[in-house]
Amino acid sequence: MAGWFAHGIAAGIRTTRFPRRREEAAGVTPGLPQSTRIGARAGEVASRCPTGALVAQGEEVAFDARRCIHCYRCVRGVETPVRWSEGYEWTLRPEGDRAGLRQAGVGEVAERPFAFEPPFRRSINILVMDAGDCGACLSEVRQLTAPQYNLHRLGFFITPTPRNADLLLVVGPVTDAMRHPLLSAWEAMPTPKRILAVGACALTGSIFGPSFVSGAGVGDLLPVDLEVPGSPPPPLAILHALLVLSGRLELSGSPGAGTMAGEGD
Amino acid sequence: MTRAADLAAELLATWSDERLDVVRVGDVLLKLRTGDRRAIEIVHWLVLHRRFQFGGMAVREEGERWQVHYLLYDRDPGGPWVEVGYDAPSTQAELPSLSSLVHAADWYEREAEDHFGVRFEGHPRLGDFVLHDEEWPEGLAPMRRAFDASAGAARGEPNCDWRPRRILHEPGAFAMTIGPIYGGIAEPVHFLLETTGENVVRAFPRLFYKYRAVEKRAEGQEIAAALLLAERFNAAEAFAHSFAFCRAIETVGGMVAPPRAHGLRVILAELERLRCHVGTIRAICGSTGLAVAEARASYLEEELLRTCGALAGHRYLFGLNLPGGLATDLSDVSCRSLVGRLSEAERALHTLDRMLATTSSFLDRLEEVGVITEKQASEHGLVGPVARASGVVCDLRRAHPYAGYEHYTFEVAREEEGDGYARLRVLFFEAFQAIAIIRQAVDRLPPGAVLASGGGAPGGGSAFGAVEASGGAALHWVWLDEEGRVARYRIAPPSFVNWHGFHLAAEDFAFQDFPIILATFALSVAENDR
Amino acid sequence: MSAAEILFVLFYVMLAAGAVATIVAGDRRAPALMALFGAAAGGLLVAAGVLVLGWSERVEFTLWSLPSLGRLHLAVDRLSALFLIVAGLVFLPVSLFSAGYALRFAGRYSLKAMGIHYYALFASIALLLSTDSLLLFLLAWEAMTIFAYLLVNFDHEREQTRGAAYLFFAMAEAGTAAVVVAFVLLANAAHSFDFAPIREIAGSLGAGTRWAVFLLSFFGFGVKAGIVPVNTWLPRAHPAAPANVSAILSAVVLNMGLYGMLRTNGDLLPLSTVTPGVIVLVVGALTALVGILYATTANDLKTMLAHSSIENIGIVVAGFGGAFVFGAAGRPDLAAILFVAAVYHMTNHSLYKSLLFMSAGSIDEAVGTRDLDRLGGLARFMPLTSIFFLVGALSISAIPPFNGFVSEWLTLQGILRSAELASRGVKIAFVLAGAGLALTAALAITCFVKAFAMGFLGLPRTQAVRQARERRAITIFSLGIPALLSLALGILPTYVVPVLDRAVRPALVQASATGQLVPPFFSGSPAHGELPPAFVADFHNIGAQIGQTILPGRGLVVMHRGGADQHVVFAMSPSYMVVLLLLLGGATYLGVRLATRKRAMRRAARWDGGLHRLLPEMTYTATGFSSPVRVIFRAIFRPRAAEDVRETVSVHFRTAIRRRYEEVHVVSRLFIHPVTHAARWLSDTLARMHNGKINTYVIYVLLTLAVFVLVAWLA
Repeated sequence: MAGWFAHGIAAGIRTTRFPRRREEAAGVTPGLPQSTRIGARAGEVASRCPTGALVAQGEEVAFDARRCIHCYRCVRGVETPVRWSEGYEWTLRPEGDRAGLRQAGVGEVAERPFAFEPPFRRSINILVMDAGDCGACLSEVRQLTAPQYNLHRLGFFITPTPRNADLLLVVGPVTDAMRHPLLSAWEAMPTPKRILAVGACALTGSIFGPSFVSGAGVGDLLPVDLEVPGSPPPPLAILHALLVLSGRLELSGSPGAGTMAGEGD
Repeated sequence: MTRAADLAAELLATWSDERLDVVRVGDVLLKLRTGDRRAIEIVHWLVLHRRFQFGGMAVREEGERWQVHYLLYDRDPGGPWVEVGYDAPSTQAELPSLSSLVHAADWYEREAEDHFGVRFEGHPRLGDFVLHDEEWPEGLAPMRRAFDASAGAARGEPNCDWRPRRILHEPGAFAMTIGPIYGGIAEPVHFLLETTGENVVRAFPRLFYKYRAVEKRAEGQEIAAALLLAERFNAAEAFAHSFAFCRAIETVGGMVAPPRAHGLRVILAELERLRCHVGTIRAICGSTGLAVAEARASYLEEELLRTCGALAGHRYLFGLNLPGGLATDLSDVSCRSLVGRLSEAERALHTLDRMLATTSSFLDRLEEVGVITEKQASEHGLVGPVARASGVVCDLRRAHPYAGYEHYTFEVAREEEGDGYARLRVLFFEAFQAIAIIRQAVDRLPPGAVLASGGGAPGGGSAFGAVEASGGAALHWVWLDEEGRVARYRIAPPSFVNWHGFHLAAEDFAFQDFPIILATFALSVAENDR
Repeated sequence: MSAAEILFVLFYVMLAAGAVATIVAGDRRAPALMALFGAAAGGLLVAAGVLVLGWSERVEFTLWSLPSLGRLHLAVDRLSALFLIVAGLVFLPVSLFSAGYALRFAGRYSLKAMGIHYYALFASIALLLSTDSLLLFLLAWEAMTIFAYLLVNFDHEREQTRGAAYLFFAMAEAGTAAVVVAFVLLANAAHSFDFAPIREIAGSLGAGTRWAVFLLSFFGFGVKAGIVPVNTWLPRAHPAAPANVSAILSAVVLNMGLYGMLRTNGDLLPLSTVTPGVIVLVVGALTALVGILYATTANDLKTMLAHSSIENIGIVVAGFGGAFVFGAAGRPDLAAILFVAAVYHMTNHSLYKSLLFMSAGSIDEAVGTRDLDRLGGLARFMPLTSIFFLVGALSISAIPPFNGFVSEWLTLQGILRSAELASRGVKIAFVLAGAGLALTAALAITCFVKAFAMGFLGLPRTQAVRQARERRAITIFSLGIPALLSLALGILPTYVVPVLDRAVRPALVQASATGQLVPPFFSGSPAHGELPPAFVADFHNIGAQIGQTILPGRGLVVMHRGGADQHVVFAMSPSYMVVLLLLLGGATYLGVRLATRKRAMRRAARWDGGLHRLLPEMTYTATGFSSPVRVIFRAIFRPRAAEDVRETVSVHFRTAIRRRYEEVHVVSRLFIHPVTHAARWLSDTLARMHNGKINTYVIYVLLTLAVFVLVAWLA
């Protein structure tokens, strides 16, 4: 048993410096497309997107991060690919009149700030619910507990029961069989509570929904506070969202809008 | 004479009296068409006397008839694939059941009953499989053409009185429930552990909480859209599944991927296998409570994900496979730097292996826990590292090589004990072999294009594509209509097969060993549920 | 005639009147009459006993004096008075309970018969306790056995009942036979059947006679009391009998066996050596352990309570054993402590066991089953019964502030004081017995957590549970009486101990336990007895005098003197505990209400992992809960697989696994079966002598004659 200890000490500290510094190692994020001025072939490029994340507007191709599933068809095998950004601050507020917001009632959601308020900021328990996810988003959430990211140092903990949970982190398009567990878990969580929808499936249903067994994301069921687009969003993107939820980082502009997504410090 | 020809001759000789059509497709495939009972007999004969592996079963609705296809393959190298098919009128109440003879077909028949409403004669456990009784009414048959698969379609009332089917009849027995929400970061599965308090006698998993009807969704789609479904239904093995799907489309369209594409596909497939195995090792260490080892494996897994991301742009290798090759090329430079990074990973993996082998408290929890005998593994048709740990050696890379695997030097893992530790050893072994294969592939990578030129969308036809994914053999079966759209898409993933065999390991064990047995199986719910 | 004598006569008259009224009034009114006359008789008996115990030394009177039939002379001393009080305290609520419960047998059996047998049983018990003649004692004992048998056999249409009652009767008669031999030995030596002459000659008996009397009386009375190895009738008789009869059996009739043991070995022929006492101690500890092991793994509520009675009797007998040892070893002060502890436990057991049996009967009537694996969630449908059952369960698990805690604490503390003895072997026996009793206490908690949780909490396992209702006020009232008494005896031990001390003195011991257990400085009296003032001042410094004016009866103390100037004190005070619990509980409640007064409370359903419905078959069963105990003590239980079948369809589909295990009780396995097998073997061998030929019999006669002639010629 002593061998484990010695090896551990010899390995040193390998944790990322985020959020104090940007993480720029290779492979930490797949990046996202950005809105690009293509020219005459804008329509052709936009039509390559299978989920409608690219919309041709004249000679521009506008990008909606919510729908992007990282299929790379807008950059691979295309003569005029869209521009690509390598950031990971992708957190979004949900927009539009989603059924989940309506169902939750006016007082509870409409005026509620999306970030936790003191004294709940420094220690947040997360209940991770897989509502039909393909496995990639869940794996990225799991990587948050890897030494490189080390969720616990920032005060976030994973809990298996909704009774202890502050945050409901949902991945997956919400299959029919998972509707009831999702709703009963939300019901069982004590206030104050928030919801974080992670991944394109949880935002829009992606390529699986809506259908007779699959929904179009969590927003139709529950009042989502923050969303993280991507398929899957890398651990740093999820971490960014968690820090925004705990009020320690500001919500930046919509990803893919400018050259680089906003600074996270 | 090749083995395929021998087999064809033998089949014709044995069943000379019945209507039996044997079509040989090259030396790799025999297509048989016969009557329903004869088909069952032939499949049983192949499994029992010729040691064929049951690959999968597909049911199709074609007009007013059911088309049933069984796919088998020889476990030993050099043998053929055999597809046995028959048809029956849709009005026929029951089809003959294969699962009493070849038990590997059990879950396929249960799935077909829920998907199509077709019953199998004598199967004692139909119903409440894919569509849970307390959610869905009886007789829905979502895979039939007439079914309206859009959201919000009206459906009847479910049976709210669902009770678990109990096997243990002992005074004071109960079925302890776990899930569907359990654990920290876990996929939803509902377990019922039948016990009288101390030992769990029988573990019965209820799956399909993540049923997204991928096969139904693919129907009527273009190949490009179906490729997305193939890649994403289990994104942990996205490359392997998209690889199998592309091979199927390539077979239908007669496309051949260029050699550089083959080499790169091998590199990427082995990279994915390595990453998946490290993830499973992490899960095993975590399940036994050895948090230090779990952290080290987790670190390695994240490093491998970053390696994949740096190499191919996406951490999970999305968007790479296309029918006919790859969507983008990977430069030789990046391939060589990959080998460099993998050397570090290899060293870390060796250290982990050595340290785990000397931690007796860890080994105590794995040894003789969750034992599956060779006979059981063979009867249930288990695949992948789980089967190899029990002595059933069948690796598609060796038995039915593709993408140039026949040119690489590697060994197929084999262990005899069939317990948790044997499965762990197989995982480590295959991980090291994967690194060795990547090195060879990078060395031999030829220059050239990565996508076959020419050939538009293929017309009608059907084919299957099979690759050895990290969990075992993955089969993708595609029927295209004349316009090149998908008419029927059938996936037989390795997790579906191994989940079926999970209850063998989970019988008569102490309750504390349950998460460990589960972790050593490397099962994916997303892959099973499709 | 004194007041006590009048009350005793009234008691018998009440019972006789009850019998007459029952015959006259008919079947339907019999239960109500049982309640009326039985309760009244019980009350009278308690009052009479209290008068004797509190104000007299002994009461003697003649019930009748008829020239032809002889005199019926009764004598009640303080020990008997205590047992009479306990009997009355049990009969009172059980009679009230019977008013409602007995109606379930209406139409099937004669309720008149139940009533008459009931009065007769009560009368014979009282008679048994009020006599100072061995002959009358035996007559009353037999009458008690017979009427108890008739009551146990009440539901005689069921074969199980008949078998259980027969076993009870047969073993009781075997025990009585042993007792008769012991009494004959005593009477022979004293040339009289009365107690007083026997006491006088007690000192002059030889060792052989002493041992014979001890063994015969201990195991003979032990059959009725229910000690290992002669208690196999108990777990079968209690479930077979109706609930009110089970309550009487367990709470009164078992005590008669204890009374017999005490009378014979403590009063008439006090044990002069240490060894018999050690035997009693060890047997008691073993009884307790065996009893609680089987109670923990029993699923039928009444079987569990029956085994638990065995356990409690074991604790009492162990206390007696320890007291006998201390008495024989020349430490009457320690003997007094243990006698008081043991009769305290006996009293407590009578109270909470009658409560538990009545609750079990009430549940059986309301739901229709007693199987814990089929109950569940009763707290929602029968709330008051649940609360009373909880009180009984807490008492029997020795949880403060209820009465079980006090008596078990005292017993264990008394056993600890064996450190002051000289002989090492005896001390080892005490240590082992004490360890056994400690293990028993832990298992008792397991057993009753299982009983309460599986029976009353959780989900209802069958539809019948949902239809259960508490229909009768008198049932609740009758449950409330022993529950309140349990609480009272728990929080006022400083008043109970002097009373019990009066009971055991001078019949069993000469020394007084009150001075040791309830020292004056705790109970507020200015006299400090044998303690140095500085020591007492220390107590005052740590606050022992708090509440002196407002809280009477504040504590119980057992002092262990480490050395002449080193006083080690173990003390506990249930009354302090109750006050503290109330204060803490109240303060917490108020605090929580204050802190959350501005928040809205939301009630959400229980979290069950996301299921649609949590079904009862997914929750723990009683068998599952007690399974670890079953596995650990496998060597004692020795379950045998009666059925182990794995059904498959076409080899591959496992459709059913059927398993069933059978157990033979360890006492049956180790003692009874060898005895019966030996007896059967012997009779088989002897049967070979009877071959039917007259010539052989003639030869036997001639042989016997020859042997006698030879013997007579030699002598």
